[in-house]
Amino acid sequence: MKKFFKSLLAKYILIIFTALFIMQIGFLIPVLFLYTGNQEENIHKANTIEKRWHEEANHLDGPTDKRILDHFEGWKQKYPESSMFWIDANGKLAAKLDVTEELPRNWTPSFTAQFIKDRYDDDPFTVIAFVGDRQEHGFIVFELPRSALYEDNVVGEKTVSIFALLIIILFIFISILFFRGIRKRLVDLQEAMEIRDADQLPVSIDVKKNDEIGSLEKTFNQMVAELRKSKHREQEEEQLRRELIANLSHDLRTPLTKMRAHLYTISKEDLSYQGERAVKITEESMKNLDRLIENLMSYTLLTASKLKFNPEEVDIIRQVRTSLASWYPLFEKEGFEIEVELSPFEENKWKIDPLWMDRILDNVLQNVLRHAKSGKFLSVKSESTEEFDAIVIVDHGRGMSNTSNEKGAGIGLSIVDLMVRKMDIEMELNSDNTGTVIKIKRKNKER
Amino acid sequence: MVRLLYIEDEVDIGKWVTKNLQEKGYEVEWNQSGEGVDSYLSNVDLVILDVMLPGLDGFSLGKRIKHAKQTLPILMLSARTAIEDKIEGLRFADDYVTKPFHPDELSARIEVLLRRFSKSDERIDIQHLTINTKDLQIFNRETGTEILLTGKQYHLFQYFLRHLNQILTKEQIYEAVWGEDFLEGDKTLMVHIRYLREKLEKDPAKPVIIETIRGIGYRVKK
Repeated sequence: MKKFFKSLLAKYILIIFTALFIMQIGFLIPVLFLYTGNQEENIHKANTIEKRWHEEANHLDGPTDKRILDHFEGWKQKYPESSMFWIDANGKLAAKLDVTEELPRNWTPSFTAQFIKDRYDDDPFTVIAFVGDRQEHGFIVFELPRSALYEDNVVGEKTVSIFALLIIILFIFISILFFRGIRKRLVDLQEAMEIRDADQLPVSIDVKKNDEIGSLEKTFNQMVAELRKSKHREQEEEQLRRELIANLSHDLRTPLTKMRAHLYTISKEDLSYQGERAVKITEESMKNLDRLIENLMSYTLLTASKLKFNPEEVDIIRQVRTSLASWYPLFEKEGFEIEVELSPFEENKWKIDPLWMDRILDNVLQNVLRHAKSGKFLSVKSESTEEFDAIVIVDHGRGMSNTSNEKGAGIGLSIVDLMVRKMDIEMELNSDNTGTVIKIKRKNKER
Repeated sequence: MVRLLYIEDEVDIGKWVTKNLQEKGYEVEWNQSGEGVDSYLSNVDLVILDVMLPGLDGFSLGKRIKHAKQTLPILMLSARTAIEDKIEGLRFADDYVTKPFHPDELSARIEVLLRRFSKSDERIDIQHLTINTKDLQIFNRETGTEILLTGKQYHLFQYFLRHLNQILTKEQIYEAVWGEDFLEGDKTLMVHIRYLREKLEKDPAKPVIIETIRGIGYRVKK
């Protein structure tokens, strides 16, 4: 119940009731004071007219047409809307002033009775009085439209109408204020809901009132808290997973390092041809195993979407050049002919994760080094068309369909594929027995 | 003699690396944990640190060492290869080598670090030049004269010597030497390289000391 009184519904009901109440009061005050007052005044006015009409008729002894008409004129001045007539002792219509209705010239007793009956408490207000104190000169009739009697009352009704109108306007105004207040709070709430913190999570809102919007804000805050909790849990899990993989990788690499150490020691001994060959093969296998461990770890993290992805605006030409600078000596050592032609694109900044891009380039260049040794050629160029900007890497190896001496499960390429897709760029691969062309492309936005 | 502090808990690896580095002419102090390293810091030239150590881990230890002695180069040598670990390590360390590694790679990296921190007082011979890396005195052995460089040329050549045998991109060199962002098409670097070649090379039209790596940058090879 307490909650109900704090609700917006309760407030609005209160506004409606207040408006109705004020309207009732607004109507009652005129009705009770003005209207009742007028009513009394009207009755009082009618009584006065009636009384005076009778009194003055009583004093009209020996009436002539002229005297009666003078009498009528006197009243006419006071009541301009009135009409009057005189029926003499013989029942004849002897004089009249401003009478508009059709009146018979001769009044029979039955017509007279009917006339009195018709006019009783009707409009016009009618007063009938016998002329002279002995009532032997017939009777005079005074007629006044009741509207003339209620003249003041019309003013009263106008006041009531204006008052009612004012109250309606006031009610509409208060309603508008009320809804405007609600709207403002909802808009504020919406804006507050759109704010994000460093973790890209919405932030809690100050709950100011205990009404429906207040409840909405509370629920929103609860959701934010739950979201935060779940994000935190997710981060913890991510951390654990990362830690586990890092430890696993460490534990696998430590014995590998020891093996390498001993192998190195052996290689320093005087070895037979067979021995040297065995050392070399073991060394190569260890290198492959190391790379596989690395790829497997990355792949596990990547497929579980746990590999950190931090896209930023990266100068792609610069990144490719830096990557090439570190790979160059290796290609040089293998006797590769290297062509590098990197000219800036119109839009040089790509929204990518630089570490991921390095990874992709490393993978591609490593593949050239491992599988396309026979071609002894590497070219890295920039290519720009209407549709896309691309980094084009060409080798003259025997192509990807031909098996090279170093086969793998293709896990490296799977990683590249996943990364490329996530970064919204494309990788096009064309390979035949004269070489392989790889294009790392970014579609151009409409120029 | 250059003294190295090597912290590694794996006995096999520790013994092997120590032996190898000693064979290469370094004096090696090998510890199995980070305990008591503070006492060595004042008389070693470089620290090689493993990450997974008993007690204080390599990252915390490295930070502490760097904090205590800014000018002491630290090389992380770890089987933790995740990029996050490398980034964490390179926040304070000067190089990060992952296991398994080739002993020649390790000693090459140690050499680069020592040069960068001017810990080695070696004289480098490049072609017809002999360079004293500590005070960057350059002598032409053939004529027996000293070659004097201007301020920018000096910085430029020093940067090459610190990154001996590495290919440096135009952007990298310009930003390191001039301290400003490199703008594509800027010829400043090219002009300075030309001046430097005029002073150092026998035939500046066919440079052999400062190599141009087409499309990428430059390299000074020992």
